[in-house]
Amino acid sequence: MKEKRKFRIFIYIIFLIFSSFLSLFTITADAYAAKISFSAFDLAQQTAPPAKSREAQAKAQPEKPPEKIIPAPRNIKESTAIYVFLGWMWLSIAVLIYIIRLKIKEADRLYAIKFFSPEKK
Amino acid sequence: MNIRQISKGILAWLEERLGLSVVMDFLRKKTVPQNKHTIWTYTGSLILLFFGIQVVTGIMLAFFYKPTLEEANKSVGRIMTEVPLGWIIRSVHFWSASFMIAIVFVHLLSIWIIKSYRKPRELTWMSGVFLLVFTLTFGFTGYLLPWDDLSLAATKVGTDIPRSIPWAGMWVTKFLRGGDDVSTDTLTRFFSFHICILPLCLLFVLCIHVYLIQKLGMSLPVPAEERGEARRELPFWPNFVYREMIVWLILGGVLISLAIFFPPSLNKSADLMAPAPEGIKPEWYFLFLFQTLKIFPARILFVSGDTVAVSLILVAAVLFFFLPLIDNKPEERKGKVITLFAYLFILYAVAMTAWSLLG
Repeated sequence: MKEKRKFRIFIYIIFLIFSSFLSLFTITADAYAAKISFSAFDLAQQTAPPAKSREAQAKAQPEKPPEKIIPAPRNIKESTAIYVFLGWMWLSIAVLIYIIRLKIKEADRLYAIKFFSPEKK
Repeated sequence: MNIRQISKGILAWLEERLGLSVVMDFLRKKTVPQNKHTIWTYTGSLILLFFGIQVVTGIMLAFFYKPTLEEANKSVGRIMTEVPLGWIIRSVHFWSASFMIAIVFVHLLSIWIIKSYRKPRELTWMSGVFLLVFTLTFGFTGYLLPWDDLSLAATKVGTDIPRSIPWAGMWVTKFLRGGDDVSTDTLTRFFSFHICILPLCLLFVLCIHVYLIQKLGMSLPVPAEERGEARRELPFWPNFVYREMIVWLILGGVLISLAIFFPPSLNKSADLMAPAPEGIKPEWYFLFLFQTLKIFPARILFVSGDTVAVSLILVAAVLFFFLPLIDNKPEERKGKVITLFAYLFILYAVAMTAWSLLG
């Protein structure tokens, strides 16, 4: 019975950690997806980009560096993923604290009855 | 063969080669005193936690950072805008540094107040003061690395302060800057200090500090000792470690939330010829020292005000380092005066920081 309970708690912790990481990797995966296009491996689509017209080339001036960079999520997907991750993180923390409190109670009880003391053995 | 048998086999294999049972036996016997001051003992492991976070996020940032005059600011910009989750990693690094320094201050001040530095723990205190200096130097050297106008101006002011030290001042300033002025040499010097020299020094002193704590154990606070309280103890493993885990989880959550909601921004690249921007201030942990230097007049009798201020700060630092040797006997009056100084120092630091922030 005790083993079963332990196993259930263990599975729950694994699930929480896994789901937290999953939400984190969703953000990473989204960011990469924007850069790595699988069509790049399709030879039929390997065509040169259209050449810029002379007017467009003349208009193109060297970009000025920004005065200040204020970091923030780049798109709505990234910001949603971050909020989901934060929610999961705090939920995981709450559940883990609940489990650790149970463990503390048990460890204190064993210490109070001198379960591990050599005299008792 | 089930999982339990496999894990037992692996543990037996490791035990045969590493002899880990000695460590486990030590951890099982290790105890932590239980009293109303026990809360301060959590700060020690918290510092280790934040140092670990600093190391991990620092390595991740170092993959992309380039310590050259042209690329330093651009590479930090790229970390924030192009590297996936780069801005969060930089933000965690920034906030974790502040958390670490704040907890180092709390840790040292709590030891000062409960007088845990008394015989035989003098060397533990002294190694702790070294760790404080290394941690502050980490903050100072790291501040320049984004190479924006604020960090350049703050470094110019910061590296100019040692110039007021009598005799050795000029040499210290030149050594810090790698020349007469802040330049590309200063940047590479600060970078090597930040990622190589300081971590090695800190790890070395940290090992000594942790060894001394394990060897001498944790002290019973003087107030509890004076009341003649019986020594109540709690096993370190697992009872105390479980309690520490709760604190780690909560502060870890707060750190990540702060890093997401309040990430540090990046100003435009520094120009060595440009005048210093108005209202430059150092990081919050140097504000009380910065304000102290500001309130001194330009000249006191025949000596420069800065020289007097820096000399006084150095004398205070030396007294702080040798505190266990000054407060070495459990004399009622002397001990109380030294505790009063601890409270006065906290009041002074808070007041000066508030003045600098509001002024």
